[in-house]
Amino acid sequence: MTTNLIDIQNSDVIMATSNFAENHPVGFQWVMKAKERGAKFIHVDPRFTRTSAVADIHVPLRSGTNIAFFGGLISYAIQNNLYFKDYVVHYTNAPFLIDPAFKTATDGGGLFTGLEQTGKGGVDPHVAETYKRDSWKYQLDGEGNPKRDLTLRDPNCVFQLMKRHYSRYTPEMVERVCGIPKEKFVQVAKLYCENSGREKTGTITYALNLTQHTNGVQNIRALCMLQILLGNIGRPGGGVVALRGHANVQGATDLELLYHELPGYLPMPLRDLHPDLKTYLEKVTPKGGFWVNLPKFMVSLMKAFYGDAATAENDYGYQWLPKRASADAYSHQHIFVDMYKGSIKGFLADGQNPAVGGPNAKLARAAMGKLDWLVVKDIFLTETAEFWKAPGIAAKDIKTEVFFLPAAPAAEKDGSLTNTMRLIQWHEKAVNPPGDVTSDAEFFVSLGKRLQKLYAGSKKERDKGFLAASFEYGDNPKEPNMELVLKEVNGFATQEITDKDGKVVYKKGQALNTFAHMTDDGKTAGGCWIYTGVTVEGPDGKLINKANLRKPADDKDYLAHGWGFAWPANRRILYNRASADLEGKPWSEKKKLIWWDKEAAGQEPEKKGKWVGLDVPDFNAFLAPDAKNGDKPFIMRADLVGAFFGPLNDGPFPEHYEPVESPTKNLLSKQQMNPVAKIWTVPDQKNDLAPVGSPDYPYVITTYRLTEHHLSGVMSRYLPMLAELFHSHFAEISHELAGELGIANGERVTVLTPRGKIHVTAMVTHRLKPFMIDGKKTHQIGVPWHWGYNGISKGDITNDLSATVGDPTVYIQETKAFLCNVKKGEV
Amino acid sequence: MLKTPGWHLLIVWYFFLGGIAGGAYFTAAIADNFGSSRDRSVVRTGYILSLLMIGVCGMLLILDLGTPSRFLNMMMHFKFWDPMSIGAWMLGVFGLFAFVSSALSLSPDERRAALRRRVSLVGIIFGFFLASYTGVLLSATALPFWSDARLMGALFLASGASTGMAAISLLLYLSGDSAGEGFKKVKRADRFAIVFEMAVLVLFLVLLGSAAAPLTSGHLAPLFWGGLVVLGLVIPLLVDVLGARWVPAVIPALLVLVGGFILRYVVVMTHA
Amino acid sequence: MARTLAMFTDTSLCIGCRACQVACKQWNELPMEEPQWTGSYQNQAHFTDKTYRLVRFIEKPQPNGELQWLLMSDVCKHCAQAGCLQACPTGAIYRTEYGTVNINQDVCNGCRYCVSSCPFGVVAFNHDTGRANKCTFCNDRIHNGLGPACAKTCPTESIQFGFRDELAAKAEKRVAKLKEMGYTGAQLYGVDSNGPLGGLNAFFLLLDKPSTYNLPEKPLLPQRNVLVDSVLSVGAALLVGVTAVVAFRERGGKGAGDA
Repeated sequence: MTTNLIDIQNSDVIMATSNFAENHPVGFQWVMKAKERGAKFIHVDPRFTRTSAVADIHVPLRSGTNIAFFGGLISYAIQNNLYFKDYVVHYTNAPFLIDPAFKTATDGGGLFTGLEQTGKGGVDPHVAETYKRDSWKYQLDGEGNPKRDLTLRDPNCVFQLMKRHYSRYTPEMVERVCGIPKEKFVQVAKLYCENSGREKTGTITYALNLTQHTNGVQNIRALCMLQILLGNIGRPGGGVVALRGHANVQGATDLELLYHELPGYLPMPLRDLHPDLKTYLEKVTPKGGFWVNLPKFMVSLMKAFYGDAATAENDYGYQWLPKRASADAYSHQHIFVDMYKGSIKGFLADGQNPAVGGPNAKLARAAMGKLDWLVVKDIFLTETAEFWKAPGIAAKDIKTEVFFLPAAPAAEKDGSLTNTMRLIQWHEKAVNPPGDVTSDAEFFVSLGKRLQKLYAGSKKERDKGFLAASFEYGDNPKEPNMELVLKEVNGFATQEITDKDGKVVYKKGQALNTFAHMTDDGKTAGGCWIYTGVTVEGPDGKLINKANLRKPADDKDYLAHGWGFAWPANRRILYNRASADLEGKPWSEKKKLIWWDKEAAGQEPEKKGKWVGLDVPDFNAFLAPDAKNGDKPFIMRADLVGAFFGPLNDGPFPEHYEPVESPTKNLLSKQQMNPVAKIWTVPDQKNDLAPVGSPDYPYVITTYRLTEHHLSGVMSRYLPMLAELFHSHFAEISHELAGELGIANGERVTVLTPRGKIHVTAMVTHRLKPFMIDGKKTHQIGVPWHWGYNGISKGDITNDLSATVGDPTVYIQETKAFLCNVKKGEV
Repeated sequence: MLKTPGWHLLIVWYFFLGGIAGGAYFTAAIADNFGSSRDRSVVRTGYILSLLMIGVCGMLLILDLGTPSRFLNMMMHFKFWDPMSIGAWMLGVFGLFAFVSSALSLSPDERRAALRRRVSLVGIIFGFFLASYTGVLLSATALPFWSDARLMGALFLASGASTGMAAISLLLYLSGDSAGEGFKKVKRADRFAIVFEMAVLVLFLVLLGSAAAPLTSGHLAPLFWGGLVVLGLVIPLLVDVLGARWVPAVIPALLVLVGGFILRYVVVMTHA
Repeated sequence: MARTLAMFTDTSLCIGCRACQVACKQWNELPMEEPQWTGSYQNQAHFTDKTYRLVRFIEKPQPNGELQWLLMSDVCKHCAQAGCLQACPTGAIYRTEYGTVNINQDVCNGCRYCVSSCPFGVVAFNHDTGRANKCTFCNDRIHNGLGPACAKTCPTESIQFGFRDELAAKAEKRVAKLKEMGYTGAQLYGVDSNGPLGGLNAFFLLLDKPSTYNLPEKPLLPQRNVLVDSVLSVGAALLVGVTAVVAFRERGGKGAGDA
């Protein structure tokens, strides 16, 4: 999230589009505190949940229509002049002029200019493969800077284009598409917009409700656009609250346990596009913004990987890095399709349970049956560890050799967890793991060393990197010293570094204080540049682990800078420069965060002036507001301003498309679904999709999590005190639908999709109601996905129902909105 | 949303036998103090019967406890406002009286008899207590019907009297003593007791009003009406009043006893 | 006598997360039970010998078409006048110096009278141990300067712990504020020391009338009728005694004295 959970208490209005209270109950206390201060709380969700129970307004919307909703809000704010004009004009690309050849989806029948209709992709014959973005660019002046119209009136300025694009998103359209009654939509729009702006700020939360769609990335873009339109980013009580999962999803993405990036959000090189380091750095380093420093981070990263073996002569080991053969490969869904097709021989599932937790789980289990070997490292015997015992699999036909390695959970090892507010918190081992149980660190260090032994005699160039990698973290060969690992992540000087006067700034091996000290000449190493600062050397030379600090918040420091370490550089609210105006004064005294103190001591004795305030400035602390770029808060973007116009694979503006499986045709344009959505073709009918408005699958289904259970249930259904909290796996069905189907509360039912079917108990409730979509009654049901065939509390696997389809930028699955049928009894 | 205590047959028997114990003792004591020497069989039977019943009652109570080995813990406190507390104590005290009275009734010594008569007049109080306190114990709970019944104790007491007398007459009959004066007198007393019990039962139901439904119209209703009212009260009274000599005298006594058992059964099992 | 402690459960802050249920189980080392199907997220219909804190879920459709979902973490009320305590013949149920009510597991003999004497149906009989048990108000924790596990874990501070007088004052302020904010159904339950049962030491702020939550509107002390019922029994005893005397009396004088 761009802001901080604690800061939510400063909001004047909070719009939770995700199930905040149920999935982040501890963080949710700050919403309650905001309410105590008079904030209004809106909950937007197809279901009335425990979050809705404490909300002032519940807005039910059909799953898969988030862009229609946000677009409606954007349109409402523009039409009613409720946007924060000064902020928009100066801090965003709203005034920038776009190539006149570019036309929005309003003029393109739902498509933007430049779509290559190859007709090759997926189910929809109109689905193309890619957009050519030739016209998606700024008009430049003589010096190469974007032309601007500060009055926002030029028809080619971003603001006018956006207005035109969202002109279709009227309250009437929102009602027809989302099923939100017009009056309620206007009430909410008014409430949210009127509580945002100069004197008031609003915050919006999201989680997988926005991400798990074929429009996932654009859903989030729409939310961000709304927030900068209203001037809420970088300000107290504002921000975009992305609620990351527990306990360490944020840490996992920061350190890039992902296929497409290297630690610290550096792009993972593509074999053909980035054949050498120079080409890579040229292509991926932007011309402006803080990312111009990318080469320093990349080189430091490779020094962290390969140590002394990485030198300027060998491009710091760039040749040893694995490269991607394609950008359209290697995601979770890609892997399981390839595995099913037989091209993957072995698989290591470390703390992951794809037999239950990934989309199209039946396909995943069948795929694992094609492996030669499978290693599962987990705290219990998960469904994946025993995938051959799944119902419907004949164990004798499975040739896979399966190994199970018991893993130590968090309490049995040292380490850090990075939570949703980018806060790195250290945890210390409480008890030793029993018997042969090992922590992940022990396992991977041990594995790494054994592989190095195995390859020790190799003369091959490509093996040199792995052999050069260091797995030494302390004296105990069995137990890596995790603080040393953290220090490597933080970064350190590979040799003595002196300043221009010869004074020693860093001793050899000393931890770096800031990523600003990273170099691209091999003098620094750093495993994850955004974490730099988490460990620093104290005056006595001992390492201080800031992730382990526990100084609570107080009146002077409500953001609790002394508790843990938030990346980057312990900044708690990102883009906080935007909380002050062009002169460096807070837009409002009520909403002050940082401000320019022109009398404060500067970086040099003769230069005065510094940004001071309640947070670490997310900005060059000594850059005056009237200096060049002193008025540009969005430092991570090349043009330093917030983007309304933001080119992505599926467009520069979010446009509503229906989910791949939808009950209705798209009412906003002729383009039914995302034109570049990824739809996999899988043999043996393992990825059949329901056609639009299918009478065999007439109901919308959404899948979600409960407070009491965790993901695929490994950390909850195996524990007695949590397993007993729900009687059985259930589906939430409205009274109306239950009445139509003759289903009573507590009866067993079958939920079916073209991929599979499950038997669950029907929970008939008032909290789901049918939607009126374009005047037609459309039912929606909800099913949590925590259950599997192992553990204490067992049940069918909800993900057997979902499909292998993905967002075109990140390939995340569409498990939040698809179609199903419901039948009485266990069919 | 209330919880039932899970008292079942052990407690039903306890209530029933406790009622007999109290009723038999009081009958013996009255016969001892106001009757003649010809009632000696009633006296002795009554005291000894009550002593035996008390012994059985004690064991029933202990067995019903969740942790029977801790039955003596009830002797650590005396809470006179708590029916169960006094009940535990009174059972013991009454047992003592029953023992003394029984022992003294076995002796032909006249001085012993005088002492016994005085002792038993005091013992009557504890006898009545044992017969009735279990009803007050039920009406002092939070459960509906039980807590609505102001006359539960009175009803149990009346039933204790009638069943105690019926038990004595049954024993006399079985020991071949049914021709005696004592037998006739105890039968007469039983007749009065049955009438009294019927009166109390009517008042009991009237005061309860709709709260009596578990008894009068629930699944236990057939037992209540058929077992207690008809078999246990109306028929024995009719047989006795109409002087149906062709009916063996033991039959009405048995019916009264069955009715008494059924009364405790339907009341307790309402909240099984 | 120390100052009375209390728990104030403000249901307007409850998000139904059940952390309180789990914390209670964990602290008291209570075993898992077979969950019941109740038609909602609630996993037991009522308190048991192994569930001392129970979160209730009540859906209440409103006349204007909106929905109210009432969430309430229910618990033993630790009544100032406790039916269970009055009923217990062994003295196992006692009141601590903090005003909380506890069942001493070393003394209880399992007679189950307390089980039937709770106006809220809280006390339960444990068939495995042969004793009755219920929420202890985390007796060990409060005697070591800590609050109950449920209060400590509650993420929104819906369950608050402290001195009764301070919490009661807070509760009064809170219900007034809620009424101002438009929660017309907001009301306190068990705060008034002059109210039913002398006030509850675990009291509540409800958003609707008590019967919506399956709570008795006016809970009464079960032992309130002991005197009346006893007097009526005495009356019956006298009457039946008279009939017996009449039946056994010898005509013409006392019968005593005949050999």
